[in-house]
Amino acid sequence: MEPKPQKKWAMVVDLDRCTGCEACVVACHAENNIPTVGAKEAAIGRAMHWIRVERYYEGEFPDVRAKFRPVFCQQCDAAPCEPVCPTYASYHTSEGLNGQVYNRCIGTRYCANACPYNVRFFNFYNPVWEKPLHLQLNPDVSVREVGVMEKCTFCVQRIKAAEIDAQAEKRELKDGEIQPACAQTCAPRALVFGDLNDPASEVARLAKSNRATRLLEELGTQPKVIYLERESWHDGENS
Amino acid sequence: MERRDFIKISAITGATAALDSCGQPDVQLIRFIPEEELMPGVATWKPSICTLCPAGCGTLVKVMDGDAEVIRNGTLGIMKMGLAKKIEGNPKHPISQGKLCPRGQAMLQVTYHPDRIKGPLKRTGPRGSGQFQEISWDDAIKELVAKLQELQAAKQQASLSFLTNPLRGQRRELIERFLSTYGAPPAIAFEVFDEAVLRRANELSFGRPQVPTYDLARANYVIGFGADFLGTWNSPVAQAVAFGKMRQGRPGQRTKFVMVEPRLSQTGANADEWIPARPGSEGILALGLAHVIMKEKLHTGAAAGRAGSLIEGWSSGLAAYSPQEIAPRTGVTAEVITRLARELAAHTPAVALIGGAPLATPDGLARALAVNALNALLDSVEKPGGVLFTPQPPMAQPQPATTRHPESIAERLGLLAPKDSRETPPVAALLLDQANPVFGLGDAWKIRDALQRIPFIASFGNFLDDTSVFADLVLPDHSPLESWVDSTPEAGAQHAVVSIAAPAVRPLHNTRAMLDVLLDVAHRLGGPVADALPWKTYEEALKTGAKALQALPGSLAAKDSDEFWNKLLAQGGWWSTEIRPAPARPPETRQRFAPVGAARADHKEDSPFCFLLCASPLLSDGSLAHLPWLQETPDPLSTAMWSSWVEINTKTAERLGIKQGDQVEVESQHGKLQAPALINPGIAPDVIAMPVGQGHTNYTRYASGRGANPISILAPMVVPETGSLAWAATRVKITKVGEGKLALFGAELREHPHEHR
Repeated sequence: MEPKPQKKWAMVVDLDRCTGCEACVVACHAENNIPTVGAKEAAIGRAMHWIRVERYYEGEFPDVRAKFRPVFCQQCDAAPCEPVCPTYASYHTSEGLNGQVYNRCIGTRYCANACPYNVRFFNFYNPVWEKPLHLQLNPDVSVREVGVMEKCTFCVQRIKAAEIDAQAEKRELKDGEIQPACAQTCAPRALVFGDLNDPASEVARLAKSNRATRLLEELGTQPKVIYLERESWHDGENS
Repeated sequence: MERRDFIKISAITGATAALDSCGQPDVQLIRFIPEEELMPGVATWKPSICTLCPAGCGTLVKVMDGDAEVIRNGTLGIMKMGLAKKIEGNPKHPISQGKLCPRGQAMLQVTYHPDRIKGPLKRTGPRGSGQFQEISWDDAIKELVAKLQELQAAKQQASLSFLTNPLRGQRRELIERFLSTYGAPPAIAFEVFDEAVLRRANELSFGRPQVPTYDLARANYVIGFGADFLGTWNSPVAQAVAFGKMRQGRPGQRTKFVMVEPRLSQTGANADEWIPARPGSEGILALGLAHVIMKEKLHTGAAAGRAGSLIEGWSSGLAAYSPQEIAPRTGVTAEVITRLARELAAHTPAVALIGGAPLATPDGLARALAVNALNALLDSVEKPGGVLFTPQPPMAQPQPATTRHPESIAERLGLLAPKDSRETPPVAALLLDQANPVFGLGDAWKIRDALQRIPFIASFGNFLDDTSVFADLVLPDHSPLESWVDSTPEAGAQHAVVSIAAPAVRPLHNTRAMLDVLLDVAHRLGGPVADALPWKTYEEALKTGAKALQALPGSLAAKDSDEFWNKLLAQGGWWSTEIRPAPARPPETRQRFAPVGAARADHKEDSPFCFLLCASPLLSDGSLAHLPWLQETPDPLSTAMWSSWVEINTKTAERLGIKQGDQVEVESQHGKLQAPALINPGIAPDVIAMPVGQGHTNYTRYASGRGANPISILAPMVVPETGSLAWAATRVKITKVGEGKLALFGAELREHPHEHR
C-alpha cells in the first residue's frame, strides 16, 4: 500500500468575499482563550488578536476605496520564527504547522522580531478574566502565562479532535470536516480551510485560481495562507 | 457503585471540597450536588437564539462541565454545572445558516459578565445613584404587585407604561396580553436605529408593513443607499452569506455592487463603485435613475404600479429629475447618473436597498418611497433577485410602529404634549425591559428629568445601564442562554421561521425569566389579567403557542404535539418553505410624495457640518459596549479600540489645522462633546461622523465613562409619520481643543508606536 501523503494544512482567504466584519476576530478570542488587555495596554500596542482585519485606503476623496485583508499566522513552510528560537518553542509540526510550545517558551521574543507578518503576540502580564468571565474558557486550549509568546494555531485543538474522531471511526478525514473558529463563523465564506496535499480539497482547487497570491511571498517564507485577490466589475463580462 | 452515585456521595460528605481547598481559605467552599447530568470533558451542542439584535439568528451553544461559584439558599458554594464555552451559527437555521457576526460571537460574555445583576434589588440611595440593596424574589414581586394593585384601586391602570426594546413572537404576545387586560396602553418599543420608516414606506408602496428581505444571492446588480447591510443593518448574517454568493458563488457571474453614502462604511468598503452623493440627496438620485430608465425605455414592465403613483410627477416621466437637473443637487455628475441607470436596467434582476441615515431625517419617508418606486420600475418587487418579504407565520405579530398616530416614547413619557391628554395620562409606574432611552435619546429630550418625575420604576434587564440605574426595583432577567427564548424573524429568510429554544445552561445567579415573573404577577393580580395568561411559565406558553404551527403546510412531521415539540426544540425552531406571504393590502392614500435634496436640519448658521452617526459594527447601538471582547476588537475601518473618535475628511482637517489624534470639540445647538480626531479619506468634506456605542454614564466597568455619546448632542427631531428618532438631521461645528488619545490597532502593531508616527 502506498503511504498516505502527509497532511499540509492551509487556509484560503477570498478577498472578494471578505466583508471586514471582524466576526473571525471575536470567534478566535472565544475559541482560543485570548485575553483582553484593557484600554491602557491596548493603546500601547499590546492588544492580542491572533487574527486581524487589515484595512487599506486607496485614492483620495471622492475616488476613494478601502480594502480588507484578514491576516494571521501564515504557517510558513520556511518560517523565520522557527530557527531563531533558542528553546525550540517555535517548531515545525509534521503537518506543516508552525507550532508553539508554551512550556518551552522563555519569552526572548526573537520569533516576533523575525516574523515579517506581525502575527505573534507576547503576554506582558498574566492574563486576567474577571470572575466569572473565566467560566467561558475553552478547556481544549491552554491558557498562556506571563512571558509567553502566542499566535494562531489554525485551531490545532480542532484539527486533533477531528483526527482522533476519524481514527476511532476508522475512516479518512473528510474535506471541510475541520473548520478553525474563524472559518466556521465567516458568513460570506471568505475563509476556507483544508489539506493542500489533497488535490480534491477545496483549498487545493482554490489555490490554483489565477487570483491566488501569498503575502510577502518574495521573502521566501513559503506561507500556507493563500489570498485570492479582490476582483473588479467590468460591464459586459457578466451579462 | 455507579460513577454518578460516587459523585453524589462525595458531594454530600464534602470529601472533594476538603481536598480542593487545602490551605486556601477563599476556596474553602461547600460543593453542591450537581443539578444536571454531565459527562466530564464532553461537549454537547444545544440549539439557541442570538437575541442581541432583531435578526434572530439560530445558534448552537457548546456546553461543557465546569466548576462555578454559585449561591444556593444564601450559601456560597461550588457547583459542577454545564457552562457555555462557544457559540456558533446553527447550520440548519434559515437565517444564520451556520454563521454568526462578531456581536453574536461575543454573546457568551453577556452570561458570564462580572457586572451582571445577581439578584433582585431595591433602591436605597437617591434616584440614579446606583445604590441598591439585595432583597428576596418574594419581596420584590410583592412590591411590584402592590404597586399595580394600588393603580387598580385608584382606577389608574392606564398610567402604567411598559418600555422595551422591539418585541416579536410569543414574548410580545404575552406582554401585550398582560398590558391590555390590565388596562394599560400597548408597550412602547424603543431603539435608536429603528426601522419604522422603512416599514411605513413598504406599507404604502407594496402593502407590506415589513422590513424586506433582499435576494442578493440571485441579484445581478445591487445598489445601496446608506443601507449598512454587511454591518449591523437588518439581517446582517443572512445578508453577508448572500454577499459571498453574489461575489463568487456563481461561476463566471459576479454581481456589481454600488454604494451611495457620504461616508465610506464597512459595507461601502466592499462596493465595486462608491458614490458619495450629498447627504439627503439619495431620494432624488433614485428618481434620477428612474427618469433615465423611463426616458430611454429601458424597463420591461409597463409602469411601477402603486409604488410609482405615490411619487409626484411619476406619470409624466419624472421630468424634474433629469440627470442634468439633479447633478448639482446630488453632487453626482449627469454622466455617472446616466451610466448607472443604464447598468441597472441592463443587469436585471437588480435591486436597490435603502436604510440608515437617509431615512433618519424628518423627510426620510419620501426617500424610502423613491427607492421603492425604483425597485418597482426595475420589476424587482417580490421577484427572485429582488425585494422579498419573509412570510410571517401565525406566531408573529405585526410591529406596532406602523400606526397612523404614532406615539413616540417622548410623548408617552410626558416630554411632548400628548395629542389627547385623556388618552395618555402621566405615567405613574414604568416597567423597563432593556430599552435604554437615557443613552439612546439626546440630552435635549431631558429624559432623565422625565424619569425622575415618574413615581415608580421597575426594571427587568440583567445589567444596570444609563436608564435602569433610575429604577426603584430591579427584577433581573436570566441571560438569554439561561432562559427560554423565542424569535420570529421579520426578515432575512425567504421562508417562514419561528425560532424557539430551551435554556442552554442553568442560571448562574439568583435571576428569574422576565416572562415567568410577569406570569407570576398576573396570577397574583387575579381577575381578567390572570384569566388571559393561564400559563404557569413562559415555557408552557411557548409550547401552547407552537401548537398552531404543527398543522401548517411544510411543518415537521410528528404523530402528536409532544413529538412535534421535541423535534422543534432539537432543530432550534420551526420553518416551512410552503407558507406564502399574506395578500398585500396597500392602504389608500391620496398623498403624493417628493423627496427633497438636502436633509431638513435644525440649525444652519455657523454649523457647517452635517453630523452623521454610524452604528458601530461591534458595539451596535451601544447596547453591546459592556462586552470586553467587542471593546478590544478593532473597528473595521478605523482600527480603534476601547474609544470614541470623530471622523474628519483629510482636506477639511488640513484646512482647520486638525491632525490625527487631536482632541476636538463637536458642538451642536443642543450640546457639545469631545473626542480625538480621526482623519478619514473616505468621508465627504462637509460631513463629520461619529460611531455610536461609547459614552455610557452607567453600563458596567467596561463601558461606564468611556468615550463620548454622539446621540447626546442630537437635535430633538422625529420622523413625523412614525415618531422615529431623526438621528441624521443635526448640524455641528468643530474646534480643536488640544491633544487627544487614539488607540488604533492598525497604527500600533509594533511595540513602540511613538517611534512610528
